[in-house]
Amino acid sequence: MGVCFYSLILHNRVKCGVWLKMRSIKLEKLKKTVHGGVIIPEVSLHIPAGKFFALLGPSGCGKTTLLRLIAGLENAESGKIFLGEQEITAWPIHKRPINIVFQNYALFPHLDVFDNVAYSLKLKKLPSEEIKQKVTKILEAFHLENHIYKRTNQLSGGQQQRVALARAIVNEPDVLLLDEPLAALDFKLRERMLIELIELQDKLKTTFVYVTHDQFEALTVADQMAIMNHRGQIEQIGTPKEIYEFPSSSFVAKFVGTTNILSGKLRESDGQPEIDIPDLGKFKLNIPQKKEWMREGSDMMISLRPEKIFISKKEVKNFSNTLKGTVQSIVYHGRSTQYNILLKNQARIQVFEQNEEHFPQEVIDYDNVVNLYWQKENVVILEK
Amino acid sequence: MVKSGKLGYYGTLIAASCTYLFLYVPLIVLLVFSFNTEPFPSPWKGFTLKWYHALFSASHLWASFLNSLIVAICATAISLAMGIFLIFYAAQGGRIGKFLALFYGNLVIPETVLAVGLLGFFTLVSIPLGLTTLILAHSVLGLGFVIPIVYARFLELDYRMTEASLVLGATPVQTFFKVTLPLLRPALIVTGLLVFIVSFDDFILSYFCAGSTSQTLSLYILSMLRSGISPMINALSAVLLLLSCSLVLLFFTISKKARTQIF
Amino acid sequence: MNIKFLRKPPATEIPFIIGAPAMIWQVLFFYLPLLLLALSSVLQFSQLGSFEGFTFEKIAFFLRPLYLKVILSSFVLALGNAILCLLIAYPLAYFLACVGKRHKNLFLFLLIVPFWTNFLLHIYAWFFVLEKEGFLNNLLQGLGVIAEPLQFLNTPFAIMVMMVYYYLPFMVMPLYSSLEKIDMRLIEASLDLGATWGQTLRRVMLPLTKRGLKAGFFLVYIPSFGEFAIPELMGGDKMMFVGTVVANYILGDETGSLGAAFTLVASILLLLSAALLYFVIERLIPGKQHG
Repeated sequence: MGVCFYSLILHNRVKCGVWLKMRSIKLEKLKKTVHGGVIIPEVSLHIPAGKFFALLGPSGCGKTTLLRLIAGLENAESGKIFLGEQEITAWPIHKRPINIVFQNYALFPHLDVFDNVAYSLKLKKLPSEEIKQKVTKILEAFHLENHIYKRTNQLSGGQQQRVALARAIVNEPDVLLLDEPLAALDFKLRERMLIELIELQDKLKTTFVYVTHDQFEALTVADQMAIMNHRGQIEQIGTPKEIYEFPSSSFVAKFVGTTNILSGKLRESDGQPEIDIPDLGKFKLNIPQKKEWMREGSDMMISLRPEKIFISKKEVKNFSNTLKGTVQSIVYHGRSTQYNILLKNQARIQVFEQNEEHFPQEVIDYDNVVNLYWQKENVVILEK
Repeated sequence: MVKSGKLGYYGTLIAASCTYLFLYVPLIVLLVFSFNTEPFPSPWKGFTLKWYHALFSASHLWASFLNSLIVAICATAISLAMGIFLIFYAAQGGRIGKFLALFYGNLVIPETVLAVGLLGFFTLVSIPLGLTTLILAHSVLGLGFVIPIVYARFLELDYRMTEASLVLGATPVQTFFKVTLPLLRPALIVTGLLVFIVSFDDFILSYFCAGSTSQTLSLYILSMLRSGISPMINALSAVLLLLSCSLVLLFFTISKKARTQIF
Repeated sequence: MNIKFLRKPPATEIPFIIGAPAMIWQVLFFYLPLLLLALSSVLQFSQLGSFEGFTFEKIAFFLRPLYLKVILSSFVLALGNAILCLLIAYPLAYFLACVGKRHKNLFLFLLIVPFWTNFLLHIYAWFFVLEKEGFLNNLLQGLGVIAEPLQFLNTPFAIMVMMVYYYLPFMVMPLYSSLEKIDMRLIEASLDLGATWGQTLRRVMLPLTKRGLKAGFFLVYIPSFGEFAIPELMGGDKMMFVGTVVANYILGDETGSLGAAFTLVASILLLLSAALLYFVIERLIPGKQHG
């Protein structure tokens, strides 16, 4: 996207003496019910200023509702919303310097592209020369200069999405909310738009809040992310890496990426904590932080990511844990191969192997008996 | 297209053709004979435009035409305005869902009953019968069209448009005028046309509520009918048919635009 | 997730007065007059206009056989009209929805133009055609079919023709929009499986278009019952229907409230008959089939 556009915005901001508008969002015990059913159960959340924040959760969990509460499109039963230091809970929608990009874009069909984008500027009663300048600059930055006077229904999905985006940022809001904006685009276009969104946020430094049920999107764009479960509660907040590598619950572990969950009892032998899985055996554990519930004999679960398992027909040393199983299915994914292994206790484990070589030394086939190896540090412990 | 079998295809084709014939033969006959040199009942003698000349110089006719026009325009304006107010109220979150049923009776009730009721009401409240009472009466009819149609269309609007407008900084009032109303415009025009026609062509309400002083086009034609057939009426019919055709054409063009504009 | 609540626009405080004009107007010029109508039929006023009390005299006046016959004639007229319209409109609607799909706009246009032409012009047009020295008679005499001109006008025949002519679009529109919505492949399938047209009609089409049929039926039946202009103009003074009787009383001098009373009686009987017909239709046409 045009660097000149962004320097123009930065220049204007500095010129006006207003430093980069970076404002955080803080939600305090926000609650929303509908017809007696609770959608948002007293959620508290802090979205840091100037960052790309993603809110990830399954469909219908209430993440869109949360977004709408921030924008003012819904009213909460109780709780507070802060923009920076200001409480905006009671502010009407049009007063909040927060814009939202809808999933279906919601472009005005009775206005052409130019008027759509200029809409918010015209409301501010800016001089028409200035409006024309700003709008054309931003449309050029989004590669839409050939479509300025077209009707919105003459544009493709990707173009409409960019118009929606342009419309939402041309009046320089403090926060930009995005409600699954890429859901209607095809895969390749989506990938491209994700990168463009990251670059956009990087240059603008506006706080972005991105809501999606697609974990790939969330992991790609987010500086910080939060996981919401079916009941509307925030399960975990952290960077994408933290969430992926150290999920705090089985929900997060299963929702973000794929994982193998094994249940058993916590035991200790010779100072080495182990998990005792019935019919499978005992496996060494690494406990980074001892928690309250970790006692001899307590029920626990472990999350073991498929890519952290090494699979081989041969005997290999240097791994803390090992397991035997039979290959049930093999799925070729191009970059990697996925094996589904049947264990002694009739459970299945998934293993991802990166296809590093054209001609691998070892060929694993259906019904082979294989050994699975993993290090105890690569296991995440979850409370049952 | 459905292969509904020979019977289905030809059967309904014949039935439909007969029906259309039934609908149009009187009108066509009327049209044809408006050019006849001799007044009815003599058969076709020759082509002439003299009846049209007579038509255009009949001042009473144009007076009543004007009356009908005024009444129709006012009634349409009133019902549309009220409709817009109601939609404005609804757009700001007012609840009118239940009250909507209040308006369904207007079109179902036999017009005679309504006319009788209004006549009694006007007499009671001592409103002199005339164009005003006609306008009031026709606007009731108009409301029966405007409210259900426009409200239904309003409900179909994508609510996210209004949300987008609000989020971008427009107050609810600004949103109504900049987004909601423009989106409703085709429906308003179409309904307005409908009300206009219904009022312009109306007979029963005019018969009861116009009083003796004012005359609408329908009443004028009635008086002419009473005095017997005249080719001038034929000529008038031709003119009015032309008017209807153009209005229906207008209706269709705007409906088409309405369908494409709102995805 | 309850989508319904999401659709409600964000509520702001706005006085009811804004939306009120329509309501006020409606109450003032629709419900109030009708209420007055109902009231005046049961209230008695003296010559000087002072209130005397309730009376059922006026209503009783109209429960005599003479007037009940009038109501019966109206009932027959309305029912006959509705049934005739249905018989004619159904094939037409089917034609519009299925067969003539490609030129649908043209056909609809042709249908609406007469509908939007002045009512009295239609009356005049049929006068023209049906008069003793009118077009039809001339044609028939010219073709040698008849020797003497026939009396078409001022007969029940003329009234019926005009009624159907006028009310046909009211029946066609709801039927058409109902027919347009059903999946034509259902009819295809029915014919394919060996059903005749009659069976397909009864078992498939009628149940599916039930709603449109009911709408059209009552859109025709109810106004026809109180129809005044057509019997008055096309039927001469020989026939008495609810509409004509009411008009006579209303426009007469002292009998305004009598007219109101008769309207009330007729309206109640109209509603009762409509309810009855509703149940009959419900029973006649099978409900939605399963699966």
